[in-house]
Amino acid sequence: MKKIAAVQIALLVLVAGAGGAMLMYTDVYDNIHDTIVSTLCLSCIKLDPVSSLEFIFETGNGEEHSDFVLENLTTGIIFIEYRSDVCTACDIMAPTIKDIFDLSFEKEDTIYKLVDYNGSTVHFYHINLDHATKIQEDSFPIYDKDNRRGVPMFVVITVKYNRGPIDPCYTAAYGTLGIDSEEERRDFVIDMINDGIKLYEQNYEGYKYH
Amino acid sequence: MILRFKRLISQFFFLFLTNLNFKIGDVFSGVKTGLCYPFFYCHACPSASAACPLRAIEIGVYNGKWNWKFILYPLLIIGTVGILTGRAICGWACPIGLLQRGTAKVPQKLKKKYPVIKKIGQHKIEPYLRYIKYIVFISLVIITPIFIGFMFTDICPVGYLVGTIPISVFNPGGFTPNSFFYIALVVFILFLVLIFTIERGWCRYFCPIGAMFAPFNKVSMLHVHVNKDECVHCNLCANACPMGIDVPNMNRDPECILCGKCIEACPKDAISYERWRYK
Repeated sequence: MKKIAAVQIALLVLVAGAGGAMLMYTDVYDNIHDTIVSTLCLSCIKLDPVSSLEFIFETGNGEEHSDFVLENLTTGIIFIEYRSDVCTACDIMAPTIKDIFDLSFEKEDTIYKLVDYNGSTVHFYHINLDHATKIQEDSFPIYDKDNRRGVPMFVVITVKYNRGPIDPCYTAAYGTLGIDSEEERRDFVIDMINDGIKLYEQNYEGYKYH
Repeated sequence: MILRFKRLISQFFFLFLTNLNFKIGDVFSGVKTGLCYPFFYCHACPSASAACPLRAIEIGVYNGKWNWKFILYPLLIIGTVGILTGRAICGWACPIGLLQRGTAKVPQKLKKKYPVIKKIGQHKIEPYLRYIKYIVFISLVIITPIFIGFMFTDICPVGYLVGTIPISVFNPGGFTPNSFFYIALVVFILFLVLIFTIERGWCRYFCPIGAMFAPFNKVSMLHVHVNKDECVHCNLCANACPMGIDVPNMNRDPECILCGKCIEACPKDAISYERWRYK
């Protein structure tokens, strides 16, 4: 047998063995599945989803609202920023969000802060899907209004009259919001928040958390 | 069966496997895996069933936060396939290879009609242009994601072709261009110009995944062998080669995609696939 055959077999055993071991003993398969294949990278598709900012009751995947959302709705609206570690559009939007809420945090952080926003209470969540808890991760498809699976995604959850009861409702916006100017992006997000607060102030007295 | 038909069947079979994430009512809900493609295809395609290896590497090196799992995993997949088959994956499986197979008639005709194009292809600088793909891989897939956060996949023409265009078509009014759209559009137009003027132009000069596979041709178990004793140097093989290789003088050429066109063209049967045969 020639020397090259020995080299080929040694290389194959080494490389395929290491690949197989990675698949079997690490979570790389799940990481690739969740991070790249299942979450749409909006900068990869070079497009931003267009979303109507109407507040709706029906969740993105038909599941119930998350418990942490229902509970917090008793005291104020909820703003969630979903992102992932490597996401150019998320990096573009991050300074705008931090500036609006006057917060500072790292992108890898998954944080919750109670914010006083112009006299109104806002429950602020920064959820990095690469470091999120199961409950936070599961909330992503619930608020993915248009089933875009894309990050960044910005969600405002409030309460609204639902032909009888007062129920949680939400709206979502994606990517760089289809807007080039940073100032206009800021105004867009502020409008989203203000609309949520307005609805909340009109309806919160009728909201009951079970 | 003639080699070219076998290759066509193989290319369509892999195109099908690549796009397994489609739905047929309640019967089939699509397949999404945690694998990386061992060729060029974008996970942003609505029917894509695996991840682009370049994206995985970019995530692994992004901003200098070395996530070795994301770097090693695609490299090991490509390494395994590369050791087994060399760049045969480019010729027999890659959907972008299939696309360029479809466009090949145009550059072939242009070459006959305008001798200047043929001359450019034979210019002494041409072999050096093939190093561009290594530069693209190292600079745009590794260096810029580390230092400035700019990634090849943000302007990738293949992502534009199989991701941006189908998503726009299937969701009319559902999406609007973002800041990468117009840069990517320019790159995509240049990509089209390239594949319509130079046969396998993308594979020859720019494909970063081809750059990863190329060194494996030197050690791969499958390769194209030229029997130099029987070769009469008629150059029919070199003329048939879509990668522009000097086939009679090649020995495990890193550019060879093992498409087999030279094997079919050789009147003396002096060229053959060689696998697991060590004399």
